Formats: sequence, structure tokens, C-alpha cells
Amino acid sequence: MTSPSDYSLNELMVVAAARELRDGDLIFIGVGTAGRAFTLACGIPIAAARLAQETHAPNLAIYWNNLLSPDLQQIPEKLTQRYLTSWPTAAQLHNCSEKNDMLQKGRFQVSFDSAPQIDRFGNLNITAIGDYRHPTRRLIGALAQTDHFAYVERPLILTDLKKRSFVEKVDFITSVGYLDGGTSRADAGLRPGGPSRVITDKAIFGFDDETKEMTVLSVHASSSVDEVLAEMSFTPRLPDEVPETVAPSAEELRLIREVIDPRRILLIA
Amino acid sequence: MRSKLVGLTDAASLIPSGSTLAIGGSIIRRSPVALIRELIRQGKNGFTVLSYPAGYTTDLLAGAGAVDRVEAVYEGLFQFGHSYNFRRGVEEGRIEVRDFDEITQAARFRAAAAGLPFAITDALLGTGMAEHNPEQVKEIADPFTGRRLHAVPAAEADFTLLHGYTADEYGNVQFPLIRDADDLDPVLAKASRRLIVTVERIVPHSEILKIPTQTYIPHPWVEAIVEVPFGAHPLSCDGWYDEDEEHFAEYQRLSQAGEFDSYLDKYVRGPADHAEYLATALTPARLLELSVR
Repeated sequence: MTSPSDYSLNELMVVAAARELRDGDLIFIGVGTAGRAFTLACGIPIAAARLAQETHAPNLAIYWNNLLSPDLQQIPEKLTQRYLTSWPTAAQLHNCSEKNDMLQKGRFQVSFDSAPQIDRFGNLNITAIGDYRHPTRRLIGALAQTDHFAYVERPLILTDLKKRSFVEKVDFITSVGYLDGGTSRADAGLRPGGPSRVITDKAIFGFDDETKEMTVLSVHASSSVDEVLAEMSFTPRLPDEVPETVAPSAEELRLIREVIDPRRILLIA
Repeated sequence: MRSKLVGLTDAASLIPSGSTLAIGGSIIRRSPVALIRELIRQGKNGFTVLSYPAGYTTDLLAGAGAVDRVEAVYEGLFQFGHSYNFRRGVEEGRIEVRDFDEITQAARFRAAAAGLPFAITDALLGTGMAEHNPEQVKEIADPFTGRRLHAVPAAEADFTLLHGYTADEYGNVQFPLIRDADDLDPVLAKASRRLIVTVERIVPHSEILKIPTQTYIPHPWVEAIVEVPFGAHPLSCDGWYDEDEEHFAEYQRLSQAGEFDSYLDKYVRGPADHAEYLATALTPARLLELSVR
């Protein structure tokens, strides 16, 4: 057994994410804009994919930076262009619209997404805070995060739990989760789907089968239900008994530290 | 085939202020940065930028006050952080922005490439992009099933600006054997009305003939071809040189602090041409460090 002092929250998030991945999954990993955003969007997902390969899903593959199925046993020492270009990979598709077609045709089982704003029904905002045409804070746009929520089987949201991030309703819907809950996603004409899990630094959430409200699945040993609720602007559904998030095993920690990210280029912030 | 070889200054002179520009590359990789610097040097402004991910070039134009509107999937500098010039421009109401997801924006360029007036997408159902852009996102019904969809206009630019690897003087532009394909340049090229391509090196036509399947931009699409070594600096050009992390640090420090005029004076308006820019921004030792050839 490991205790919270034995591992970092990033390591816990890697392990939690890896457990959501299944053998044979094709996983879309996106773009992160510096520091913590890079760790959440790229670093933890890549580490989780490799960890899952090592533990229970040897045949999963990722798509990142137009590398389709890069060899995760050969994660380069740096992530500048030179190293990306020479990273051994099964395919470099001709241009990005090949990947778009793959997404739209439903060829991806999992995507990793993160956002500065997420609401009760799992809608994401990475576009603008405040009024769209006169924003108080312009964000980065949309990327393929819209497309992940429209077309990917089991999108996973990785983000830090903060009161200003977990809001009753996002200011702008970049990615349609379960819209207003219930059947509203399907009513709006979207294909079946929607986010599967929200993995944060304090707790893991799912979505209620009927109402589609965000629901606490487990709370990390380093946190508490009260602390989780204090960091949310809405009250999620809570089970009567809230389980503790399964801690990383000693072997998982060894793999992350010695095999997957020995140079600390993935879990950077 | 006729020669389309021109100098950087003359290529930029083709482009009037107020034009709609489609700019290629990807965020911090292989964009026609030297050409954008030359546009700013010539005092051009009022541009609309159509992009897939807009990154450094859009931020540079924003920092020079030269862009009025942006339609793209992303504005930022990847691991180097936010596009502070662009962000400030939007927040202060100087830059109008319309967002599209990657699939829809690529579909808009593909419609333009195919000579069609609009593209069809179901990616925007329920999104803010549809809600806040009724001018460009129109609900339509699938004529066969009645299912709700959106029509979005083809991404038609006045000029398309790309940076490539090698080309002959006729404008046959080739990929290297090993490259990073994380961009939409081949589609942007096909979608262009007036296409200007800067390349790292002009090679003899006989070189192009060796592997014609490497030609991703054939000469009939090209109006002007320009030889600009290190033409994407401080961005990377896969197979030629890496991104210049030190330069990015300076760029981000000045743009974040709101002191971008000093960057423009030093690197854009100050140097008389691309050669002077290279002499200002790079030492021979640094040039060798960044080179990956």
C-alpha cells in the first residue's frame, strides 16, 4: 500500500487516467499551452497511455501532433520539433484533414481534454470568459475539443478542481457535453457520446445515467468531500458513501518514474 | 512552365492592406514568418487572417496592429504560452474573432479547394461557435433524412501564404522524405486563389523530377516562389531547423509585458531585410545549434 506522501498528484492522475484506458483503444491527445496546461493536455495523457500499455492495454495506440501510433517505448528526450519529427511512428498522415476524417468517422475511442471552465453537465469552455464578442479573458479557441465531444466514444477530462473552473454554466460552449442534462444532447441533434470521466487533482467524477449531472465517483486520499465541494461553484451528485480513489501501486510509481518519464519532460508542472 | 521566382520584398508588395490572408504552418512550426515580417515592414495592415491553428504569425501581426479579424481553430504558442498580443487585441476590442473547431475549419478549406460555396458539418450543433456566429453558421437539414446540420462558407482568401522546404523556380514545392505533417498546408495550397510560397531552398528542376510524388504543391497553383533560408525562424522548419526557444522567451517576455514595440523595432522594422534580420536574431553559432540537417 502507498500513502499520499509516496506519490504526487500528477502521478495519481496518470494512474487514474490509465485505468480508464482499454486494450485496443485509439486515443487522441491534443495541444497544451505551456506549464500546467501542457501537463494536463499532453504530459499526463501520454504517460497514462504508456502506463496502460505496460499494465493492461498493450495494444492501445495514441495520436499526437499528427503522429499516429508513435512508439511509446521511445518517448524522446525533448519535445521540440526535431525530436517530434524523428520520433518512430507507424504513420504521419498526409495532412491534418486525414485525422479530422478519422475523428468524424468515429475511429477514436478516447480523447483527453482539459479546460479552464467546465459545468455541471460536462460542457467545456476553452474559448472566452465573459461575453464572447467582448471577453474579459480571451482563451485559446476550440482546437479539436469540440470534435472530441461530438465524435469520440469516451472523452476523458483532465483538469484541476477550482471554484472558478467548475461553474454552474460555462460562459461559452466550446465542447458540448450533456448540454442541459437529460436527453438535451440528443435533442440538439448530436450523435450519442459525451464525456466519460472528469479526473482532477482532488476527485474523480462521472455523469449520472439519467440526469447527466456530474457525480462524485471517488475522492483522493489527500483530499476530502468537504474540500471537493468547496472547490466547486455547483453541488455535484454525491453517493451516500464516497469511496477513496485507488492509490497508485508501488509498481505503477516505479514505471512512471523510471521507465515512462525519467527526464521529467511530461509531468513538468 | 515559366519562372515564378521573386524576391521577398516584391512578393510582399503583391499583397495590399486589407487583404484576407490564409496563413499556413502550425502554431510554432513552418509558417512564412519572414514574409509576414516583410508585410509589417512595408506598413501593411487591416488584414483578415484565415488559419487552421493560428499561432506565431497571427500574434506577430496582432502585435503590429495589422490584423482586424481572425477565423481559426486556435490562437496560442503551444508550449511557449499564450498569444499575448492577439489576446490583448481581442479583449480591447481591436480584433474581431470567429472560432471554428478543427473539423469545420478544415472542411471550409476543403470546400474552397473543391470550388464549392460551403461545407457541411455536424460538429457545431449546440456550440457557442454556432450561437455566436449566425452570419457564418447556418442551420440546414439533411435533404435525405431531415437531420439537423450546419452549412459554413468556404474559406476563401485573397492570398495564401505558405512556407515550404524546397522548390524549383517554377513553383513545384516538395516535401522532404521525413517530415512532420501536422498542418493543413496541402489543403490550403489547393484552396488558394493567389498563392505565395517561401521555401528554404530553390533547387534545380532536375531535382524535382527525381521523386515527383514528393511534390505537394504543383506549379499551376503557385503565383510566386521565394527563396528564404531560415524563413520560418524563430519557428521550426521540420527537417531543417528547430524552434528557437531563446528567441521565443524574449518574444513572450516583451509581448506579455506590453513592450512589443521594442521587439518590432529590433527585429522587424529595424532590419532592412531578411539578411539583416538573421544577423540581428542569430549568431553563426546559434544557427548551427538550431540546424538539424
